[in-house]
Amino acid sequence: MGLGEWSGRLCCTAFLLAVAVLGASSRHAAASDASIAIVGRVPRVLVLYPYDERIAATTAAGEALRSRLLEATNGKIDLFSEFLDLSRFPEGEHVARMARYLGEKYAARRPDVVVAFGRESASFIVANHGTIAPGAKIVAAGFGTATAEKIALPDDVIGAFSTFNILKTAEMARGLQPHARHLYIVGGSSDFDRSWLTTTRADLKQFSKSFDTTTYLEDLTIDEFVERASRVPPDSIIIALTVFKDKTGRNFVPRDAIRQISATASAPVYGPYQTYIDHGVVGGNTVTFDALGRTVGDLVIDAIAGKPVSDLEAPQTYIADVRQLRRWGLAEEDLPPGTVPMYREKSLWEEHWVILVAASGLLLAQASIISVLLLERRRRRVAERSARLHLLEAVHLNQSATAGALSSSIAHELNQPLSAIRNNAEAASVLLRSANPDHELIQQILLDIQEDDQRAGDIISRMRGLLKKRSEIDWQEFDLNDVTSSAIHIIHGEAERRGITLTSTQPPGELPVRADKVHVQQVILNLATNAMDAMLNAVPAGRTLTFATGLANEKAELRVSDTGDGIPEERLIRIFEPFYTTKQAGTGLGLSIARAILETYGGTICAGNRPEGGAVFCVALPLAHREEQSR
Amino acid sequence: MKPVVHIVDDDESYRTATARLLSAHGLRVEAHESGDQFLARLSACEPGCVLLDLRMPGQSGLQIQNRLCELAPLMPVVFLTGEGDIKASVEAMKAGARDFLEKSSTAAALMEAIDRALIQYERQKAEHDRLQAQRALVAGLSPREVEVFGLLIRGRLNKQIAHALGVSERTVKVHRHQVMEKLGVRSLAEAVLIAASIGLIDQDTASPVG
Repeated sequence: MGLGEWSGRLCCTAFLLAVAVLGASSRHAAASDASIAIVGRVPRVLVLYPYDERIAATTAAGEALRSRLLEATNGKIDLFSEFLDLSRFPEGEHVARMARYLGEKYAARRPDVVVAFGRESASFIVANHGTIAPGAKIVAAGFGTATAEKIALPDDVIGAFSTFNILKTAEMARGLQPHARHLYIVGGSSDFDRSWLTTTRADLKQFSKSFDTTTYLEDLTIDEFVERASRVPPDSIIIALTVFKDKTGRNFVPRDAIRQISATASAPVYGPYQTYIDHGVVGGNTVTFDALGRTVGDLVIDAIAGKPVSDLEAPQTYIADVRQLRRWGLAEEDLPPGTVPMYREKSLWEEHWVILVAASGLLLAQASIISVLLLERRRRRVAERSARLHLLEAVHLNQSATAGALSSSIAHELNQPLSAIRNNAEAASVLLRSANPDHELIQQILLDIQEDDQRAGDIISRMRGLLKKRSEIDWQEFDLNDVTSSAIHIIHGEAERRGITLTSTQPPGELPVRADKVHVQQVILNLATNAMDAMLNAVPAGRTLTFATGLANEKAELRVSDTGDGIPEERLIRIFEPFYTTKQAGTGLGLSIARAILETYGGTICAGNRPEGGAVFCVALPLAHREEQSR
Repeated sequence: MKPVVHIVDDDESYRTATARLLSAHGLRVEAHESGDQFLARLSACEPGCVLLDLRMPGQSGLQIQNRLCELAPLMPVVFLTGEGDIKASVEAMKAGARDFLEKSSTAAALMEAIDRALIQYERQKAEHDRLQAQRALVAGLSPREVEVFGLLIRGRLNKQIAHALGVSERTVKVHRHQVMEKLGVRSLAEAVLIAASIGLIDQDTASPVG
């Protein structure tokens, strides 16, 4: 069904075009008739741009106009664009040639409405109205009423005037920089640039009085502009007008010139054009080209519809580049009310939402995978850390328990030197009170006191090591033989009390291992107290606890053997499990903690029975310097 | 001669320091490294009191104390220990320990304990000596005199004794006189006291045995 309808519409359009050609030729005669009559065809609108297509101001306005028209007519409109390039080719021959060319080009399709953006376009079309678009309605846009008067715009030309009020831009700058002392105004050397400078001189006459200095940077080359702007005092305001041409006659798209200037400027640069934003300008008061384009669009639509139209002012707005505010440390709240902030982070979203949605979807997926992995890792770390802390806690508890069990023998051991010191001191003081003190003896007594003090200190430091509580592992390299000897020292009193003989054998060399010394000592003490407990029922004469260190399978090894009853076979497999105990007062943690400690340092522990009776526990730790050891 | 304080302790440093302290206070001191060594030398040792370490390698303090009770019952024992141990101290006191001191006690407390032990030693020595003398007197009696003495202290009359021994009353009188003479007593009551103190009669009931 759609196909039939479409073919019908095509026939109809062809017919209408034929009528239009006839109608146009008939209207050619009545060129002076200002009213337009569009009958049975789509209206034609010619848009004249004064410069080339790179000049963002006019193209932005043109784009807004174009979309406004397409939207209002539902696409039923013919739009033509011409770039007059009058700033680069201002010569009369070029203008005349252009007029002739356009007259011939549009001979068969005379525009119903001509939109002239900018003063040059307006002058051009006013002068060449009859050649190019006789009978067309002319809409001039993009300049102020003052300019309109200057170029003597005919009354039948409708103006969508945009007043670029430089004073408002200056006041905006003042509001942002209330303490600025110097004012600089930048303007180029083209006619348009010069007229801007003239207007500005008049408009800012009063305003500039509040500054210490007011400097017009004009008649300069682009390099001079850049150089001068880079060394203005920091408490300055720079207002950039336009630079279509510099002193040498080099042509510029003004925003490019402004970008060069503001890139190295030593003070904030303001400008009256929307297009300067994103080229290093803080902001200004402007007619946004969007607004201008839409305003012109409304005028064109009314003109096409035959409605009476009259001059309009496109609305002015303040705009500011948020990034530049940040660059210069200016406060957003100092902006005039209603300022449109540009380049806030959200604008990115507005411009590229599809890509952003897709990208952020992807990112989100990635991020969630990453965060799951990170969380997992974090959880594992936390778990590892808490497991380590728990181990350290348990080790400490076990240390305290061991210390408690050994405390009476340790106290006994400590009391020996302390009592000796006390008795020696008392003896010395008695001797000194005697009629004929024996100085030699007193000297010896003092030496003995020092020795006993040292002995007590050693016991205390061993004890402290035994009770030390830490939340972190204190890695250090030490000789397994030393720690074994130190553990033997600690338990020897207790062993003596229980009638247990201690024997130990050590290899001639060192057994360097890397671990927490106190933890390893803890393991040895655990094994030793276990062994002593195991010999409670053994014949007193045979009670022997043996420590043997040595090298085994490239590891430092310690074997702790007792002459107790040994470990029943069925218990051997469970002996390292937590809370497994055969002792009435045991926690069942000693051996499981011993194993946990050793595994932390890459070591192992195993238990077995000796053929001659009694149990043997075998501890192995990696050597700290394997290569040295193998020599 | 003053009695000797025997220090028995395996810890050389403590042993030496304590010996110095006691010497400084004018006491005679002998130091022994272990209980076994002390017991081995005991016969050659001068009597006095003993400072005995509770925990030692070899025989423990308590074991040494038990041996001392048999070998040298007159020597009071003061126990020394590194740390209080209720079970050990009770055992020690039951076994007759004079005192139980922690090694960390002050020198004054140590001196006091030793003084008490030495006084006790002196007292026991004196008592012991007195008994020994009395036993010697009794031992000096002839067999017949011992028989007469035994019956006398149980309150028998001369004629009862004569009858029991199958001798004349006159003979009994002679023996009785000899006994009083040899024991150096003037009255029967004094003779009875000697008999009681050396254990020939039950002191509690004072009733004749046998």
